[in-house]
Amino acid sequence: MLTCIKGGHVIDPANGRDGVADIWMRDGRIVDAPPAARADATYDATGKIVMAGAIDIHSHIAGWSVNTARLMLPEFRLGSAARPGSTPLSNAGWPAFEIGCRYAAMGFTTVVEPAVSPHYALHAHLELADIPIIDKATLAVLGNDDFLLGLIRSKESAAAVRDYVAWTLAATRSLGIKVINAGGAAAFKENLRAFSFDDVVPAYGVSSRQIVKTLQHAVNELGVPHPLHVHCNNLGIAGSADSALVTLAAAEGLPLHLAHLQFYGYGKEGGHRFSSAAARLAEAVNAAKSVTIDVGQVMFGQTVTVSLDVLRQFKARHQARPRKWAILEGDANGAGIVPYDYRPADFYNAVQWAVGMELFLLIDDPWRVFFTTDHPNGAPFTCYPEILALLMSRELRAEWMATLPAEAMAVTTLPAISREYSLVEIATMTRAAPARLLGLRDRGHLAAGAVADVAVYENEPDRARMFRAAALGFKQGALVVRDGVPTQHVFGRAFAVEPGRDAAIDRRLKAYYDDRYGISDDLIKVPDHAIGRPEPFELISCAQ
Amino acid sequence: MHQAWIDGAPADLPAAAAAAARMLDASRQPLIAGLGTDVAGARAATALAQRIGAAIDHMNADALLRNLEVLREAGFMLTTPSETSLRADTLLLVGPGAIDESSELSRRLLGAAGERDGGRPIERRIFWLCPGRHVGGAGQIAVIGGEVGDLPALLATLRAVVNGRPAGRSAVPAPVLQGVADDLKAARFGVAVWSAADLDALTIAMLCGVVDDLNATTRFSGLPLPPPDNAVGVLEVCGWMTGFPMRTGFGCCRPDHDPWRYRATRLVENGEADCVVWISAYRSAAPDWSGESPTIALAPADARFTKPPRVHIAVGAPGRDHDGIEHLPMIGTLAAVAATDRSEALSVAAAIAAIVTHLADGPPSC
Repeated sequence: MLTCIKGGHVIDPANGRDGVADIWMRDGRIVDAPPAARADATYDATGKIVMAGAIDIHSHIAGWSVNTARLMLPEFRLGSAARPGSTPLSNAGWPAFEIGCRYAAMGFTTVVEPAVSPHYALHAHLELADIPIIDKATLAVLGNDDFLLGLIRSKESAAAVRDYVAWTLAATRSLGIKVINAGGAAAFKENLRAFSFDDVVPAYGVSSRQIVKTLQHAVNELGVPHPLHVHCNNLGIAGSADSALVTLAAAEGLPLHLAHLQFYGYGKEGGHRFSSAAARLAEAVNAAKSVTIDVGQVMFGQTVTVSLDVLRQFKARHQARPRKWAILEGDANGAGIVPYDYRPADFYNAVQWAVGMELFLLIDDPWRVFFTTDHPNGAPFTCYPEILALLMSRELRAEWMATLPAEAMAVTTLPAISREYSLVEIATMTRAAPARLLGLRDRGHLAAGAVADVAVYENEPDRARMFRAAALGFKQGALVVRDGVPTQHVFGRAFAVEPGRDAAIDRRLKAYYDDRYGISDDLIKVPDHAIGRPEPFELISCAQ
Repeated sequence: MHQAWIDGAPADLPAAAAAAARMLDASRQPLIAGLGTDVAGARAATALAQRIGAAIDHMNADALLRNLEVLREAGFMLTTPSETSLRADTLLLVGPGAIDESSELSRRLLGAAGERDGGRPIERRIFWLCPGRHVGGAGQIAVIGGEVGDLPALLATLRAVVNGRPAGRSAVPAPVLQGVADDLKAARFGVAVWSAADLDALTIAMLCGVVDDLNATTRFSGLPLPPPDNAVGVLEVCGWMTGFPMRTGFGCCRPDHDPWRYRATRLVENGEADCVVWISAYRSAAPDWSGESPTIALAPADARFTKPPRVHIAVGAPGRDHDGIEHLPMIGTLAAVAATDRSEALSVAAAIAAIVTHLADGPPSC
């Protein structure tokens, strides 16, 4: 079947395109305009904006923690009924099915669940399999697990670590590796209540820095396209900028991704001893060309924080709004679920909002700053249209700032920033750059050969309205959204990498699981047949 | 061979599935209960409920919902079975169901800790609050209190003592309780273990409060024992498919959760449910209600019923007759379990799929 999206303004930064053109699709892929061919279906996009489907690199959409948040907050489930577009939804209770529908409605076609504990990988993949329309992927979390810390403690070879990382990627069917407060959860088990980059996990004698560097090298040397994805120490506290800066410096010219940097954008200036350090962070990111970051923007309203940073969540549990929480002391990382309500009148929350905006606007390369709210931690992903509008209009930002505490704005640089994102920069940040960062060569762009994931938007001055409801959405060439409403519920796949490894590691881990846990290592693996859908995974090639 | 019965007489599967579908088509308030099944069965049952406007419940939901009530009203610290058996130097068993001698998990908990502490094996101290019927046979375990009815006051008093606050009287002498509190605070990693089958939600909340308070100075966590019949696995499936636990109805198109209204026993005994799909694949458990309602049973071939179901389709056990995914108490999460004695017996998902092909209408339009 030959399909044509006709006469739209195509914005495709990966291929340097920014102008009116037709997009042709056949058998799920973009094709060059066939000479003298007649399309079987033609969609008129005159006056509309055409982009590749958007890609979210960091959104907590599946797994035990997400599901526990649903079960904790049944009252939020009611909020999943349709609401007026101007109301940012504050909702943790979406079933898997609605997550896919709501992402697709905004023109998203790929979303990465970034925090999967290896022992919970099957659960996460089962939830992902019930999310329609979009493609998915997981990042497996290492860095507080006994096996890795044991390897580092006993100074085993880099090859041994690589084999273990490769085994983990294969067992959990993941696209990459994340480390969350490296060593912090392991230290918390020994009753430490604070943990920084050069602190040492007592039982192992291994520092957070050693863990991050070991994993960074392993991921890089295995040729995994996505660099090590780092959730730094000391998230969310005044002075956390120091933790981000010291981690960033440790990249040492190799690829490293720092997640939800907004939560580390805090200094200790001002009367509240809490201020924006975003300008300092942005300057460091601009200078460190091998580093990428995503923002984790805060928006105001009710949400729930869901994190495998058990130490941080433990310390925040009594600040829960509403007052209920769950903390899991896990086999490795653990987890914490703490509801939170970001309030515009709250000094700290207002600073957090501004810090996110500053990072977006002060980091000058849209190929290295990624668009996230750390859903649902900073805000639910349904707030994305409002954030895009804020990035594209200094006037709109000024309107927001006028309603926020002046003393909060005074400890940020946001009032002085005039930059406005262009549509090309938006398309770079939400399409071209994430595809490149994840190694998805045939996504995020619209050249011949790319997968035909396409979003078409009305070119409206109200950018929030524009991005809230794609006029047309195509998944692998099939029309799946019209005017922001899903028209069919196809099911996508999960991307994974499987770099090669020495088979000796398989035997070693079999013995380890048998000895330490008294279980077969097969019980923590994710077999294809368990997912219950045909071809549930798509392998992404490594550079190895 | 597949096995099925209509009104107690052997039937072939298509005929039984068609008869079941006719019952569901004619029903004004169907109920899917029991739900002792694997993840695939729970997915299929939930999808069926959504399609026909049924309510869903699990036979062990009473216990599950007591723990959930604490999660929804207060908060708790949890840990995994592996962390407990590897690292806990102190176990606080609470209530008679905290140990089940037949379970592998209990045997591991009562054994030595697995992880070495600087080369030394961890000495594990075990306290058992109100073991009830087990009181005589507790061995090396320090028993505090007797009957489960003493627990609410005992835990409240213990919590006060742990926090250095004045405490009222409980069934246990104050110096004994002070000693327990001191020992709990001296733990390096303690874990409270309970079965919600024994305890009411307020008692669980008080216990979780004690655990939380102990973390002021040391590390302590909780391990609720999962009820049988894959209750936790089914809970997780309900969560991600509907946003709610079981005891959810689909009569209004959007799922509606109400633990009282959609309790299976109440729906049947009040005559509200006019057709029941009873699912029990792991064992031949029978419903606990006193009333009756036309029933479609998806249960083992040898299941016996006080009143035979209108339709009985035999199903195999996940992990025995066929591969399945279920919540494993030993690892505390979902895992793929291979069949140990593979057979031709249908899975619950396959039985539901057979019924669905005979349903008259498509999904209701909302």
